[in-house]
Amino acid sequence: MSCHDVKLDESVLKKPNKILLIGNPNVGKSIFFTELTGIHAVSSNYAGTTVNFMEGRLTVGGKEYVLIDAPGTYSLEPSSEAEAVASRLMESGALAIVCVLDASNLERNLHLAMELRQHKIPLVFALNLADVAKRKGIDINAKLLEQELGAPVVETIAVKKQGLDELVLRLGEVLDSPKNCADSPCGSCSSCQYTEPGDKWLSAKEITSRVVKVNTANPSFLDRLGKKMVKPFPGLPIAFLALALLVGVVVFGGRMLRMPLIMLTDGLIIPFFRNLFEGIFAIFASEGGQLSYRYLFYDGGFQTGFRIFTDGAWMSADYGAYAAVGGFASVLLNVLIGEYGIFVISFQWIIALILPYVFSFYIGITFLEDSGYLPRVSVLFDNIMRKLGVQGGSLIHVFLALGCAVPAILGSRTATTKKEKMMIATVICFAVPCISQIGALVALMGAFSWWMSPLMLLFAMFLFVVVALIAGRIIKGKVDPLIIEVPNLLMPTPKTYFRKLWIRMRHFLKDAELPMLAAVFLAAILAGTGVLSIIANQAQVQMIVSGWLGMPEEAVVSLVLGIVRREMSVAPLLILNLTYLQVFVAGVVSLLYLPCLSVFGILAKEFKLRFAVVIFVGTVVSAIFVGGVINQIGQLFI
Amino acid sequence: MVGTVSLYKAQKSVPLQVASVPDVGLLQNLGLRVGTKVAVQHRYAFGGPVLLDIENSFSVALGKDIATQIIVGGLPKHELP
Repeated sequence: MSCHDVKLDESVLKKPNKILLIGNPNVGKSIFFTELTGIHAVSSNYAGTTVNFMEGRLTVGGKEYVLIDAPGTYSLEPSSEAEAVASRLMESGALAIVCVLDASNLERNLHLAMELRQHKIPLVFALNLADVAKRKGIDINAKLLEQELGAPVVETIAVKKQGLDELVLRLGEVLDSPKNCADSPCGSCSSCQYTEPGDKWLSAKEITSRVVKVNTANPSFLDRLGKKMVKPFPGLPIAFLALALLVGVVVFGGRMLRMPLIMLTDGLIIPFFRNLFEGIFAIFASEGGQLSYRYLFYDGGFQTGFRIFTDGAWMSADYGAYAAVGGFASVLLNVLIGEYGIFVISFQWIIALILPYVFSFYIGITFLEDSGYLPRVSVLFDNIMRKLGVQGGSLIHVFLALGCAVPAILGSRTATTKKEKMMIATVICFAVPCISQIGALVALMGAFSWWMSPLMLLFAMFLFVVVALIAGRIIKGKVDPLIIEVPNLLMPTPKTYFRKLWIRMRHFLKDAELPMLAAVFLAAILAGTGVLSIIANQAQVQMIVSGWLGMPEEAVVSLVLGIVRREMSVAPLLILNLTYLQVFVAGVVSLLYLPCLSVFGILAKEFKLRFAVVIFVGTVVSAIFVGGVINQIGQLFI
Repeated sequence: MVGTVSLYKAQKSVPLQVASVPDVGLLQNLGLRVGTKVAVQHRYAFGGPVLLDIENSFSVALGKDIATQIIVGGLPKHELP
């Protein structure tokens, strides 16, 4: 999956056997791509889910081609970074183009079709969303459209896999036989005499009027609901309800999922490893066990260095060497299975703490995404966002950042100005926690009282406002006003919904696992070897952690691990005995503190390294400053 | 064409025709050009956007700053529904 590829891969432009998948934003190109190649592309019901392209193999008539899923584009004259990708792909040449048209919105889609025709590349049209068009009372004469366009037109419902076989069949025909279009210029073959219409919009309109019959007398329930949701009443109450539902799904769903997982990890897996390691080390620790220990390690073929060392200790029976071995063993035991042991926290934190919340979050957000609800939220809150120096469309990225900041920052490529992109990244880094971190915070705060998490939510919103206002002043440039298409409201089909949920989880496991394990190892080694207490005992560190922030000295582990992963700035606190004030301060620090290393990488790639460094320094300084101020003020009242 | 007015101030739920539109790529690409038939569905309070129905076909929300730059007029008599 190429969603983390940042720059356009030039080698793809040079590939000879390309077939391009092109169409307006949000017509379902990614679903075609997934169904045709078997490679899972993430799709949603709003413009701009694919911001780069993806490639996969497609076999047509026994021959293999490279199918490329281009970002949605309204026109070949691009108006954003993401759209520019599509137009570069076009210019690099292709054997054929599959142009996906939105049947419920034909005229605008035909304009792009007109632009494509002038490139004289064989075309096949998929008239997608045929079901939505029907629902809206739009009737299209596909046969007539085929004549008008001079290229095959196939009616499809991609999410239900309808019409795809025929599409591939027609694509094969187009690829095999360069058409002779002497009689009616098609505009889609190399020898064509087709001359482009002077006014593409006009000809799109004329074609539409010839092939489309509209009867909008009886709008469906979803269409009526879709229209209502975007009006302040009942749109705003619905928005708050949806937010409350999302929070409910995450908090309670996460908690429900945690219970069996905690039983599994704390009751079964961790004791198993504890017994295993303690058993092994017990054999080693007893003098009588020396022989068997030697047998176990020496003959078992362990590393040479370790073997000679332990072997020496046994051979000479020198007490000092024996004690050294024993000391080393207890450190190792600590690193493996101690309080912060690898085999303890990797299960407790990753499986029993983070995973349930990530899963429950994606259950909720995936539904919101696929239904087409998020753009409606953007419209409803554009007035507030505008006063904050951004625009409503940025809210979609913020929602995505609640899952993970990395795809959200990549997704902000749909932004039309540099400033908007930087504003989105800044707000996300300072004030929008990712779901792993939210899970850890909810676990920490939920254990204290019911009002702590809502208080934190309010604080995060307040922070969001402040950060946006400040960033808007500092970052130069301008933000373009909102221009957003409000998509049809759709009921997600179970198949695409669950597939997306599965892709998301797989991605999370794939992308987050390594940094999480790295953090866990780092924690285990720092704590197990005593390095952590050395750091914690430095006068400056004590001054900041204990004096200024009012946290116990063990909390320093959060600040160290928080650099690697966001939730790790909270997870170590779960086993400490904290006061109300300490929990709140910890939440504030964690919220503002560094986003993770992966985000740093993305910032450095998408922007300049300087921007990434400023964000990193800014987050650390503001986290410690604001956390400390809250602690100092809180101390006055306690 | 009867009198013209900025889209931001145009009357709601009345068929209108675009008289002039700023040179913004995305607007062109969405099909908002001189002569396009539109209707204001809603105008949001506190400097919010205008929700626009374009050619009776799809909805687009336009922020205040861009909506004020778009000029619309009434439909010519023979095109009134």
